[in-house]
Amino acid sequence: MCRPVLITATCLAFANNAFARPVSYAGGWTLIEDTDRQSTSALIHHSPSANYLLGVKADFDRNKDILFTGVQATWLAKRWFGENHQANLYFWGAAGLVQGVGSTYADDEAGAQIGVMADWETRRLFVSYRASARDYASLDKSAMQAARVGFAPYEGDTGELHTWFMLEVDNSPDADEPLDVTPLIRFFYGSALFEAEWSLNDDQSLLNFQYRF
Amino acid sequence: MLRLILITSFMALATPAMAQINPDAERHGSAHMGDHAGHDHAADPHAGHDMREVDAELKLADQPELAAALAAGGEPVVAKVLGAVCDFCAKAMNKTFGKRKDVAAVYVDLDAKTLNLVLKPGAEMSDKTLRKAVKKSGYKVDTVARGSVTITN
Repeated sequence: MCRPVLITATCLAFANNAFARPVSYAGGWTLIEDTDRQSTSALIHHSPSANYLLGVKADFDRNKDILFTGVQATWLAKRWFGENHQANLYFWGAAGLVQGVGSTYADDEAGAQIGVMADWETRRLFVSYRASARDYASLDKSAMQAARVGFAPYEGDTGELHTWFMLEVDNSPDADEPLDVTPLIRFFYGSALFEAEWSLNDDQSLLNFQYRF
Repeated sequence: MLRLILITSFMALATPAMAQINPDAERHGSAHMGDHAGHDHAADPHAGHDMREVDAELKLADQPELAAALAAGGEPVVAKVLGAVCDFCAKAMNKTFGKRKDVAAVYVDLDAKTLNLVLKPGAEMSDKTLRKAVKKSGYKVDTVARGSVTITN
């Protein structure tokens, strides 16, 4: 019981939804903490090449009290380059164990997550889409999708603070409120990315963090 | 599990038509090569470099590390990079080139969209090696410039 509590506490300490550029340069490590209105997850991964990453992940569903711990692989299937823009298409999958926490008692079961992410950005504009589904055996089977648009009020140069204003719309068909709108502000500074969001439906703040080293 | 795969496949199909976002990098590159079709590579000290090289006056970013490495006798190389739109891009190239023993100083200029290198005195880096290292960072070289230097702000 101590292990899931510790992992969950770690996840919450990082609270996140930062899916910007998940795959790093060859040899790079990235710490990602991601929170949406349903789950908080923490992922630390290594990119053996600029096209894929391998990592470990803990994902706590705060609404259903389900903890997933496992390994994740993310593949940058395609990157489109332009002089002033970049677009990416990623696929990812994770496999591990799921268990109920607190009121949802259950034995450990095998679980899996799969997803797709796509984004297009310039130094002033950003558009992204992601979708994921999970199979937690008897505990849960569900899917979600989210789209995001954003703009930067100024073009930050190398080493400067980069600021983005964004709006995310997500759809979780199985949720009590299937649709939610989340305005957020994103800051890039050096190797760190930080996002502060506000879920309009749930009236709660969400924090995301990513660090590359 | 089948349901899981079907749901995600459906969502993947519903993604914005990313395949239509087809940055014209290759077309742009071809046009650029055409611009330099009359360039005399035979008389060029860097004739071993590929056709995309621009042996015109190169503009090096005004950074103290680059200036110091240049003063120490290193060769400057400036590459125009495609897809560099944020600090994570800059970080990736800084890390990749910063580890190399043949590089004295590196700086990615997001405004100019350039990777600025000053090699260690006596060191050489071919275009092929440069392109490979940029690719390893996750990006792509458009053109490479070598030659007399102008420092730019």
